[in-house]
Amino acid sequence: MSTATEPSTPQPVRSTTGLTFWSAVRTVFSLEMRQRLRGKGWYWMLGIWFVVIGFIFVLATGVLGTTDNEGGILFDLVVGFVLLFGLLIAPGLSANAVNGDRAGGTLAILQVTLLTPGQLLTGKWLASWVGSLAFLVLSCPFIFWALALGGVNAQEAIVSLLMLAVELGVVCAIGVGVSALANRPLFSIVSTYMLVALLAIGTVIVFGLSTTLVMEERTMTTSYYTYPESSLDATGTPDPGAEMECVTQTSQGMIPRTEYIAWLLAANPFVVVADAVPYSVEDLPELDPATDAAGLPQGGPYYTPGIMETISQGVRAAQAGPDVEQSCEELAESLRPLPQETPIWPLGLGLQLLLAGVLLLIGRRRLTMPAKRLAQGTRIA
Amino acid sequence: MTNERGGIVVEGVARSFGSVQAVRDIDFEAPPGEVTALIGPNGSGKTTLMLMMASLLAPDRGTVRVAGFDPVTQPAQVRSRVGWMPDTLGVWESLTALEVLTTIGALYGMGAADRSRRAEELLVAVNLTEFGRRPARVLSRGQQQRLSLARALIHDPEVLLLDEPASGLDPGSRVELRSLLRSLAAGGKTVVVSSHVLSELDEIADRAVFVSRGQSVKSQTLDEAGSQMRRYYVQAEPMSALAAALQSYGVRYETRGDSRREEFLVQLGSTAEASWLLRTLVLGDVVVTAFAPAGGALEETYMSLDTDRR
Ligand SMILES: Nc1ncnc2c1ncn2[C@@H]1O[C@H](COP(=O)(O)OP(=O)(O)O)[C@@H](O)[C@H]1O
Ligand SMILES: [Mg+2]
Repeated sequence: MSTATEPSTPQPVRSTTGLTFWSAVRTVFSLEMRQRLRGKGWYWMLGIWFVVIGFIFVLATGVLGTTDNEGGILFDLVVGFVLLFGLLIAPGLSANAVNGDRAGGTLAILQVTLLTPGQLLTGKWLASWVGSLAFLVLSCPFIFWALALGGVNAQEAIVSLLMLAVELGVVCAIGVGVSALANRPLFSIVSTYMLVALLAIGTVIVFGLSTTLVMEERTMTTSYYTYPESSLDATGTPDPGAEMECVTQTSQGMIPRTEYIAWLLAANPFVVVADAVPYSVEDLPELDPATDAAGLPQGGPYYTPGIMETISQGVRAAQAGPDVEQSCEELAESLRPLPQETPIWPLGLGLQLLLAGVLLLIGRRRLTMPAKRLAQGTRIA
Repeated sequence: MTNERGGIVVEGVARSFGSVQAVRDIDFEAPPGEVTALIGPNGSGKTTLMLMMASLLAPDRGTVRVAGFDPVTQPAQVRSRVGWMPDTLGVWESLTALEVLTTIGALYGMGAADRSRRAEELLVAVNLTEFGRRPARVLSRGQQQRLSLARALIHDPEVLLLDEPASGLDPGSRVELRSLLRSLAAGGKTVVVSSHVLSELDEIADRAVFVSRGQSVKSQTLDEAGSQMRRYYVQAEPMSALAAALQSYGVRYETRGDSRREEFLVQLGSTAEASWLLRTLVLGDVVVTAFAPAGGALEETYMSLDTDRR
């Protein structure tokens, strides 16, 4: 009879595996891409995307016709929208990657080959990332159009696009990780949307709510321009020709020390992109020391930042915290964009990568066969 | 029988899913060069056992050796030697049959030329040549089944685990499946086939392991099965004459209730006994219109096991 009762472990008779990591990843990638390219869904999404971005772009061009910083604002707008829609599309492309296969009965067929869970997840992630990068590529005509209008330097454009690509990759990684964890595609897609919403909206809400926790009673000095009391007539309208003057006021009040909680905003994808982009502050014309009649810097319309730059400025303001002593000289300065003190985006990107990495690691454990524990109600085959 | 390097040896294996004890205690042996049938009613744990042999599911208890390797601690060794055909059909919607085969071949580490040559060969073997370049989703169930079989064979595995491979196949394809499996076994491969289509296994299998409620209840070779007590059904015109004749020879019979026409079932110990009875009846002027084994040899064992089907 058999002697195999004792745990015999013969040496492999042939070389075990000719499957290298990258050839496995490439096979999974091309498997995914072939299905995507041959399906209709992806092309429909691309078409709708192009139309929507184009519509918004044309609309914005019409509205902004007269602004001096048109190119910059349009560019920022496209970046913002690509990020927003990318955050909506990337989960759709990634969050059913693994459990969709499980539902289709093809996952076990892959798992019984020499493919390892890490290779499977890497391939799926790459495929969904490339799939979502196509949306970025499709927005390029508008991006170049905005660049052609001027006002955006090359560095700003390159970093913006790079960070968009990175953010799409992060969301895809989160989606693929969740899809390995959750049993049903619908559930994992919704969960991924929730995680993305947590990053994009949740961080802002938490930041907003946390401001009440960092309120401090402070003596504040604020300055502002106003018409002197004497130049006002009975109805409160100033006499023509009256000069404004700077008034400095000191008051007691509760102010939020946002510098303590600014990091909460870090993991927000919009913040990560906006904070990483080096907006060209230095290129702005020096403020004319001469002020106009209102005591404000001369030189016509002020520099208008685009959407992403506004976010960037907002975060820098939050990082800096409230200015408790604002003199009249600083008042004029305050119209200028804030320079970057400490970049916050490495922290944010780090947090996002941590989230994605943890999800992928747990997902990888879940996919490691032979399975010891199965999620309730799932069959391998 | 089963040497160190080949075949499958499963001993005292158990596996539960939460509160469901899918496999309680199964001993199973499949020697190389033979086709071993795994027979049991629905829900008896056949698929679960197959998954444990295919290194997809870890047993709670017991040992599994596939081609000499432990699927739990040496899954890669086992996977490179095992071809597994699941009973569920998974298809990649837009891949062609040929691409399905070459993709899986690539995942077994086969070279590009190697796997496309092998894929073409297998398409011929399973009669799907004309569908090689069509999307796999347009294939009929039986064709998908054959594609699935080809996929399990792509890396020329030593051990073949087929979970209900014949369900959905037309009679012609079944015959082809039978000869394919026989030739694989003749080539020294270990072939395990689970099925409940017993009549078919009679002709494919060399041996059979019966499982019921997660337990292996019997293991026998087809030769053993063939020489055991078998039931024959007999019809005659009129049936009353047959009843009288059987009574006079002292042969016990029962009336079969599950058939459209009335017929008698008799238990006979051997083929010699059967030929004796038939001759005696005919010589006794009973107009016998039908005289045949009630079922295949395996079906006989299956029915005699008195397993309560769920
Ligand atoms: N993943 C699972 N989770 C819960 N119960 C399972 C699971 N897989 C199988 N079962 C149960 O285990 C028993 C055996 O299943 P299975 O091995 O598929 O039977 P067979 O293939 O013999 O029809 C069945 O009662 C089935 O419901
Ligand atoms: Mg089954």
